[in-house]
Amino acid sequence: MDAWLELARGPLFAATFLVMVLGLVRQLGMQAVQLVRRRHLLRRARWRVILGDAFSWSLPLGHLVRGTVVLTVVSILFHLGVVLVPLLLADHIAMWERLLGVTLPKLSVGVADLLTIVAIACALLLLAYRTLVPRARALSRPRDYLALVLVVMPMVSGYLAAHPAWNPLPWQMMMLVHLLSAELLFVVIPFSKLSHMVLFPLERLSQTYWQVQPGAGERVAQALLGEEARV
Amino acid sequence: MAIPESALSQGSPKVKPESWYSFHVDEAPAGDRVERFLAAFAAILHYGGYRGLLDTYVAALGRCSRCTVSCPIYQVTGDPRDIPCYRTHLLLDVYKRHFSLSGWVRSRFGHGRELTEELVDELAETVWRCNACRRCSLECPLGIDHALLVHLGRYILSMARIAPKALQVSVREQLEGKTRNTSKLPRAALISNLEFLEEELEELLGLPVRFPVDQPGRDMVFFCAVSDYLMEADTLMGNAAVLFAAGDAERWTIGSGNFDAINYGLFYNDWHLERIIGRLMEEVLRLDGRSILIGECGHASRSAKEYVPVFGGDGAYPVQSITEYTYRCLQAGRITLDGRVITERVTYHDPCNMARSGWIVDQPRAVLKSFVKNFVEMEPHGRANYCCGGGGGLVSLDETHEYRMEVAGRLKAEQLRQTRANICVAPCANCKKQLKELVEHYQIPCRVVGLHDLILQALVIPGATDPRQRREYMATQLE
Ligand code: HEM
Ligand code: SF4
Repeated sequence: MDAWLELARGPLFAATFLVMVLGLVRQLGMQAVQLVRRRHLLRRARWRVILGDAFSWSLPLGHLVRGTVVLTVVSILFHLGVVLVPLLLADHIAMWERLLGVTLPKLSVGVADLLTIVAIACALLLLAYRTLVPRARALSRPRDYLALVLVVMPMVSGYLAAHPAWNPLPWQMMMLVHLLSAELLFVVIPFSKLSHMVLFPLERLSQTYWQVQPGAGERVAQALLGEEARV
Repeated sequence: MAIPESALSQGSPKVKPESWYSFHVDEAPAGDRVERFLAAFAAILHYGGYRGLLDTYVAALGRCSRCTVSCPIYQVTGDPRDIPCYRTHLLLDVYKRHFSLSGWVRSRFGHGRELTEELVDELAETVWRCNACRRCSLECPLGIDHALLVHLGRYILSMARIAPKALQVSVREQLEGKTRNTSKLPRAALISNLEFLEEELEELLGLPVRFPVDQPGRDMVFFCAVSDYLMEADTLMGNAAVLFAAGDAERWTIGSGNFDAINYGLFYNDWHLERIIGRLMEEVLRLDGRSILIGECGHASRSAKEYVPVFGGDGAYPVQSITEYTYRCLQAGRITLDGRVITERVTYHDPCNMARSGWIVDQPRAVLKSFVKNFVEMEPHGRANYCCGGGGGLVSLDETHEYRMEVAGRLKAEQLRQTRANICVAPCANCKKQLKELVEHYQIPCRVVGLHDLILQALVIPGATDPRQRREYMATQLE
């Protein structure tokens, strides 16, 4: 067991973390290539509006429109836990120091516990929403449920590992589950919609795609309808 | 999910509730539609520069369901096929399955959604029932612009020769016909219409306000939706009156070679879009004009504003909408509006193509509030307005009347009723047509007019009739 734990803690962690970082860098790189290709269009982009929108969605309190109020609040609480706890939990800070050599401010144990519990509850609510509300169910695909489950697993196992009174398994076993599920998540993130954690400000720029390339339409028409293409 | 038998396969124009959404294609498409769809998609991907967009969307789509609250159509139908994100998925599925490596690999294992006849039908149905109002982009946390994919979907379909007949016929006349405009208005008819309008204006104002035609070297060349020349006399007279009052009577002209700003290409086809913009620029060049002035029309303003720079390059002609122009004149003190004339309760409808990007929201309100005492807003309004229900070219498809009334325009009608306004101002030819049909259909006691219709009544011009007399005269004319 200890050997497994060592593996999950050391090489496996480093490897999967690297996969995530590289994967996300690749996603960002692809976006950068798109931006460079369209740089002549970016000049005419409505930057104030685009940046304003992206900013307003970072903490979407301005988007409590009728019909999404509950969803928004739940989503914000969920994200609070999902973003803060992995970064700032005391035990994680030690890990970041060991791994990356950076020292982050630390959450008090009580706050971290609360955030985790709230995030787990919110994730379950999101799952229920997807399963029970027709409009969400119509859109959902297996991978959407899976994403939520994958995100919840490290949170649940981490919480249990930190609270022996609740933990049905030996600590080492639970820790192993925690590590492996987190590592699975690392691998999945860059190849799924979870990559929104880095991509989300960039999608706004898709507005610039309205500005099509000069001459493209003509070439499409000729390719499909011949030289004498007519409407 | 089965879709209702579409007019596509059944070819009959009978409107059943289930076929509300259906549209009427130009010519009975011969040959394999799946194949043609894929060929068109391939060509557009190859030349069109949409690949980056699709890859981005494939990576990002969250399926969070928020767009359901923003789409006025889904709110009425509750049909999952009307969820913006659902529709986007249909197209992205085809893209992934047929045009990406991973899709190809997955298909080897029996995964992924193969394009079938039924899927082509469903795509056609879903993209043509959307108003392309872009309201869903506001409530998408990722800023996904579902209407852009509707545009792409329609582009592909129309290049596969699956497009509504009414639009195709109009564009064909505009680009390849004799009259070069969507209403088939001959040059001679234009000239006599303008003469008639000049007489009217003289009667109304007591001043010789002209519609200059083919004057070379003018600052502004004016284009409006050509239907205005047939249906919106007051709007046009208001436009000319403002230009006159601001001292610009000698600085603008209409070109008789091309006077139609309608650009259905914006709704469904990049090829048409570019050619129509090219036509505008040609006319300005022919007249040695210096800038483009677009009349009261949302999609015409947006297509010119956004695409003249795209297709015209760096030295492209500046574009402004008449709404902006009038606003600037008012700001600069070049025109005055009489606050005593309009006593009714007035509301303002934002044309999506002007308001959604935040481009023209405050300007018309500043103009209206400067002379309308009793102004009331619809809720929601501005960037978050509801589409009139005729967006995306639907208003030009008579077959969609029932759909536009019962589904697409339903929330708008409700909004309008709640304002209890007597007058609804909408500076857009398409919106006005749809709104007029709506107030009739729902029997809402409200008159739909253009912005410059009201301005024409309230404009103070030295030497002209008093606005209050003018109003009486117009009231008798109306009866
Ligand atoms: C770092 C900044 C992040 C931002 C700005 C962000 C933003 C968003 C947004 C805008 C949504 C859209 C839907 C909604 O609000 O319901 C969303 C959904 C979601 N996010 Fe994040 N996110 C971030 C980080 C993360 C992280 C680190 C995770 C977990 C690894 C995560 C997991 C999820 C999941 C699972 C959903 C889908 C919820 C559903 O089922 O609807 N997010 N996020
Ligand atoms: S563009 Fe408008 S009509 Fe179309 S899906 Fe979005 S909100 Fe609905």
